[in-house]
Amino acid sequence: MTAHPEVPGRLGNEANPAGVRDQNDTTPRPHERNGQFALRCGASSADWPPIQPGGRVESLAERQAGLVAALTAGARVPEGFDGRLVEIARVALLRKRAGEVAKQWPLLAASMRTEWMREFMDWAAARPTQGSLRDGWDLARDLAARGALPALAGEELATREATSHYDGHTAPRARRAPAVRRAAGTVVVQIAGIVRILRRA
Amino acid sequence: MSEVTTTTSYGVGIGWRPEIAGFVAGLPGLRFAEVVAESVHAHGDLPPGLPALLERGVTVVPHGVRLSLGGAEPVEAARLEHFAAVARRLNAPLVSEHIAFVRAGGVEAGHLLPLPRSHEAVDAVVANVKLVQSALDVPIALEPIAAVFDWPDDELDEAAFLTEILDRTGALLLLDVANVYANARNRGTDPLELLDRLPLDRVAYVHVAGGAEHDGIYHDTHTDAVPQPVLELITALCERHRPPALMLERDGDYPPAAALREELDAIAKAAGYPTVT
Repeated sequence: MTAHPEVPGRLGNEANPAGVRDQNDTTPRPHERNGQFALRCGASSADWPPIQPGGRVESLAERQAGLVAALTAGARVPEGFDGRLVEIARVALLRKRAGEVAKQWPLLAASMRTEWMREFMDWAAARPTQGSLRDGWDLARDLAARGALPALAGEELATREATSHYDGHTAPRARRAPAVRRAAGTVVVQIAGIVRILRRA
Repeated sequence: MSEVTTTTSYGVGIGWRPEIAGFVAGLPGLRFAEVVAESVHAHGDLPPGLPALLERGVTVVPHGVRLSLGGAEPVEAARLEHFAAVARRLNAPLVSEHIAFVRAGGVEAGHLLPLPRSHEAVDAVVANVKLVQSALDVPIALEPIAAVFDWPDDELDEAAFLTEILDRTGALLLLDVANVYANARNRGTDPLELLDRLPLDRVAYVHVAGGAEHDGIYHDTHTDAVPQPVLELITALCERHRPPALMLERDGDYPPAAALREELDAIAKAAGYPTVT
């Protein structure tokens, strides 16, 4: 993992104890039926591969999607995985994202000081990344909407809003027309790409 | 693609990043660098500092991080087109990507994720690598990643998984000794055992990076110093088969230039290559 991990914010995934199985259930596992045995089958691999309702084995695409959802969108850790390790990876990923967003939105991150990491990780935990530019933009707008955007970050957001059009769903585009935007008390005007701060919070 | 072997020896290189462009430009002996392919425009201006490196004859290899070669879906055409265009633009003798997936079900993971070491996953990687090879004029080297967790249904061990992918695609190997170290340490296996079972004659180049341990897990952070055991692994690798190039990957918390130079010198010493600093 190329992410800087520190102490995880949340530990373990208790909602899904991996590989728990009724000891009396003797139904052959799919890998037994196929005559294939996992090389690294710890206690947690007894339920593998997962079977869909109706008896169909999950495809690689479905299993990859399940894992990504667990890591980025707050979904349950898929059957058989080591929940502790997936949680460590999940937190490391969030920390890496926070660092990347802080690079794109330095005033947003700096204005929250020591709260930045916690604030971002709480916000991002169930929101898969849209890229660090949009992640920071979405977070700044959310904070502004609930009156929690610090003044310094307001300057950064208002400047971005005045120079680019961002619909919240697709990549931001540079504005051609002049624009006046405000955020957290700062008012910014952009004319022909030149930005002036009209009023600071 | 037919069998490809690398003959040019580049020695010690470095991952080019905008933050250390000045440092990289000041390395007198540098002949090899790597740039993140997605950070380079296919047709617009190159990042400042990169043209000067190319002009002085430094070989710059594009390193893809978002093709998702291990994804169950085919590599996206636009990403592949960009990757191939960047390779041509840099006049690169080879390109590289990972044996990993980075998105699924339309959701970006934001990171390189491990694959199950299954025959189904091998098939997925092989299909995508062949697709990429058909768009490229140069060979591709594939990099096994560091993973904090494994899938529960591995049918193959790591060496067999990698070897099968390389055999079926004819691709080269980009061996990351820091990943080898991290995985072995976290899984409690012997990194030398893996080296002994990999086709080391297929190594195009080698990544070296630092990491740190948290909560009992060693993380391949690229933001910490290269630990001594990773340097020792370089020496062990070179005793078996010295790769044509080894390069330092640093992706943040950049230390002073003197510390980066020391790391490059340590890699050179461990591999028996001349220093580039």
